[in-house]
Amino acid sequence: MGNRLMVEEGHLLAVFNSAHRVMKAEGVLKALGLPILLIPAPRKLLTDCGLAIRFSEETRTAVMGALEQAGLLPEFITRLEEGNFVTIWKDRNSSR
Amino acid sequence: MKTIDCRNMACPAPVISAKKALEEADKVRIHLDNGAPRENVSRFARNRGYEVEELQDATGSWILTISNTNSDKKSTETNSPSNGCVVLITSDCFGKGPEEFGSLLMKNFIHSLLETSIKPSRMIFLNSGIFLTTEGSDVLESLDKLCGQGVEILSCGLCLDFFGRKDKLRVGSTTNMLVIAEELIGAERVIRL
Repeated sequence: MGNRLMVEEGHLLAVFNSAHRVMKAEGVLKALGLPILLIPAPRKLLTDCGLAIRFSEETRTAVMGALEQAGLLPEFITRLEEGNFVTIWKDRNSSR
Repeated sequence: MKTIDCRNMACPAPVISAKKALEEADKVRIHLDNGAPRENVSRFARNRGYEVEELQDATGSWILTISNTNSDKKSTETNSPSNGCVVLITSDCFGKGPEEFGSLLMKNFIHSLLETSIKPSRMIFLNSGIFLTTEGSDVLESLDKLCGQGVEILSCGLCLDFFGRKDKLRVGSTTNMLVIAEELIGAERVIRL
């Protein structure tokens, strides 16, 4: 099923808790030419606004750097590993 | 093997003829004019999981040999049942409100169709909706995957021409208002966005 959906093994997802923040974040990352895609958060993640930014491990440093600089860090980052989402980074202020 | 001649046919007639022929035979040879007819038929067949061989003859016309080598094709389609539902997308924005937010909602809707158990049988894009099927769209990957799951993606040729994007179609095939009208009237259900 993996390749029929928008998230494949190894993909990273930056999950946000606000539509405004995720839209701003998408704009910042696209302006820098980073290969990201705004997608619905997979059903399994049960997020507030239901949106996530998909990116790859290769661009992780650039994505996180840009989001930090813009004050738009996500609520958490998760990676699809063997079919499961594993949280690999979490905002210190997040309640999750 | 079935052979059909689609030269001198205007789009989307070659795609419709190819589709019909492939419903009757597992291997079809199609004679086509260069340009949009060849590109649309080739794209249609590849999106459906068929194997496509393309040869150009001495006159500049093309001969496409399309084979149904994918034994899983039928079961793939069964796993994503289609309900005779046509989704008509008339804009690149979903709903009324700020354009940026409407654009986000439309992209979100199309990506979400990959997770629904029931898929539409067809998605028709017209007016500014064709920006979703052409170069630069954020939903090309999703639409490609939907094509692979048996959803037919059609874009209005007149709209592509109006917006100067005829050569930028990246998913599905071109159609005209006659076909769109027939599809809408004949559909079990139409959802307009």
